[in-house]
Amino acid sequence: MRKIVVIGGSAAGMMAAIAAAEESTDAEVAVVTQEQTTYRRPGIPALIAGYITDPADVRVFSPETLARHNVKLICPAEATNIDPQNKIISIRRDNKQEQLPYDAAIIATGGHPLIPPITGSDKDGVCTFTTYEGAAEIVEKAKGASCAVVIGAGFIALEIAEALMHKGLDVYFNVRSRILRKLLEPDVSEFLSNNFDRKGLKMLTGETISEIGGKDRVEYVIHKGREIATNLVVMGAGTKPNVALAAGCGIKLGPSGAIKVDNRMQTSIEDIYAAGDCAESPDLGTGLFVYSPVGSIGASAGKIAGRNAAGAIQKTKGFLRAQADEILGMQIYSIGHSSTTAKEVNLTVTIHDLNADRLGRRSQTTKPFEIAKLLTPVLSCESKNGGRIVGAQLVAKKYGSQFARQLYGAVLNELNMEQFLEQFNWPRIKLAEALVDATKSTVVVESVGEGKALALADTASRKKINQQSEE
Amino acid sequence: MTIITESKMDKVIVVNIEKCLGCKSCELACALVHSKSKVFEEAIAESPRPQRMVTVEAAGEFAVPIQCRHCEAAPCVAICPTGAIQRQSEQAPVMVDEDLCIGCKLCMLICPFGILQIGPEGRAVIKCDMCLERLEKDQEPACVEACPTGTLKLVSLKEIIKARRTEASKQLVKETQSRKKTKSGKKRK
Repeated sequence: MRKIVVIGGSAAGMMAAIAAAEESTDAEVAVVTQEQTTYRRPGIPALIAGYITDPADVRVFSPETLARHNVKLICPAEATNIDPQNKIISIRRDNKQEQLPYDAAIIATGGHPLIPPITGSDKDGVCTFTTYEGAAEIVEKAKGASCAVVIGAGFIALEIAEALMHKGLDVYFNVRSRILRKLLEPDVSEFLSNNFDRKGLKMLTGETISEIGGKDRVEYVIHKGREIATNLVVMGAGTKPNVALAAGCGIKLGPSGAIKVDNRMQTSIEDIYAAGDCAESPDLGTGLFVYSPVGSIGASAGKIAGRNAAGAIQKTKGFLRAQADEILGMQIYSIGHSSTTAKEVNLTVTIHDLNADRLGRRSQTTKPFEIAKLLTPVLSCESKNGGRIVGAQLVAKKYGSQFARQLYGAVLNELNMEQFLEQFNWPRIKLAEALVDATKSTVVVESVGEGKALALADTASRKKINQQSEE
Repeated sequence: MTIITESKMDKVIVVNIEKCLGCKSCELACALVHSKSKVFEEAIAESPRPQRMVTVEAAGEFAVPIQCRHCEAAPCVAICPTGAIQRQSEQAPVMVDEDLCIGCKLCMLICPFGILQIGPEGRAVIKCDMCLERLEKDQEPACVEACPTGTLKLVSLKEIIKARRTEASKQLVKETQSRKKTKSGKKRK
């Protein structure tokens, strides 16, 4: 019987285990995990806000579900070593060492919160939230506090900030440059920053706080020379891969510092796979391996790793990062590359605005969306997918998914601007207007070619005039 | 997870927006039926707060009750990376297995109707389940039962087609009659 051992019990690990058990029904699949239970990450802000008090409400992958999928749970236990020669994983359970032989192993050890090098970040009152214990500490510290500082990079940090605001705290949100830098373009960030600021989330942008001060406890922070009194600092500055176990047995790491894998999510050592926040993953647009610690990619990569570990040969072309969230009444969608992540894979992009402003006024209804952006790479001989849309961003107050799903389709199916504008279903926007907006924007629509776009717009508007005269 | 018996979706919830007054009785009934206690007085004090899965949206001069349409090739089912959103059979409604939902929100991104939501409680994605428990007891979904104007109706596809046919033939008769009238009117002139 094939023995498959998964190390790590979060989204990637659990999905790997379930996929492996589904792929090979006679395999013995076990998950080794330290945490007693797996929590749904978005549940943590809810715990902090006090919407729920029972952590059982946000648990996922319960033992019953795993049993239904024929997955064995070994917990709480810690994997201490992998011996790839003899194919044995050493684990520590109840202070006793055990040996687990394996035919295939999957490393899904996840990530650690990234703590920026700020003096005083070891003080009492500096919290992280990747575990339930961390969240519980924030809840405890927030009780007597009147003010909190959240240092954040992604959506979840903003969610935590919103949750603390709901608790009645004065919340400052600190970022090194601008909010959601990796996900959104500068002007989208700025729009959101201003919007959040108006709603009471105080923005500290441009620089990470330089000092966390106080005796033993946090008493103040300093941002750009200004002292802000606070007893609570929440660190949400990002994730760094937890690779100690993998590096310990000689598995190669990629340039990002995460575990290097191939298109089957296999590491440099045969029969050892890796997925989730500890590993790199191929990016759909470019096929390059990047580090993107996102839950949905972790789960999808976990499934690939699991199936391959169970004996299948399944290669992935890559994963498309797509994130959505609603923060302080704003729906935010970010799909594929932003100009920041594109730069990391040496892709120069052109940014196209889809403007709904004029339309909102004309039809006297609410704006269909606030901002929408599409990214296409600048054509060059090196870029193999020139002209195809590689990224999209959208901010809307309501019903953003009507548009976001189409943007997602455009990125997933690698449409170019011309195809996209032909297919896009504008519930309240006429094609011609959209085209004119797209071509009039500060950057020229290179992938379509301005002349062609204008010609298309012209035909569309002529059709419109014909229709009107017929009526 | 609820085990879904075959062919529970032979009927669909049909919304006639011309009849909706925007009273939100459906929202209330939905939240109540998805609460723990299912008793109004207790449900309002529950934590987590019971959530409604049907919303009455203002759209111009209309009020539109909107809930999951249980799409045939449902995009949310296709996109879910953990298989938490699934339908047991072709005929079954689209259901969420909370225990597999990691909260990645991809389904919220892809839903054409903006139905899927993560409640403020931060629990799994929540969506209309067609009141399966009630359907199995041969009851109508709570929103349909609560609707005082007949905006929401649980009807089979056959019934819809029949109603359309009746409607169309009536319309035809009406048109023919009015044409006759105008013709005879002209003659008199």
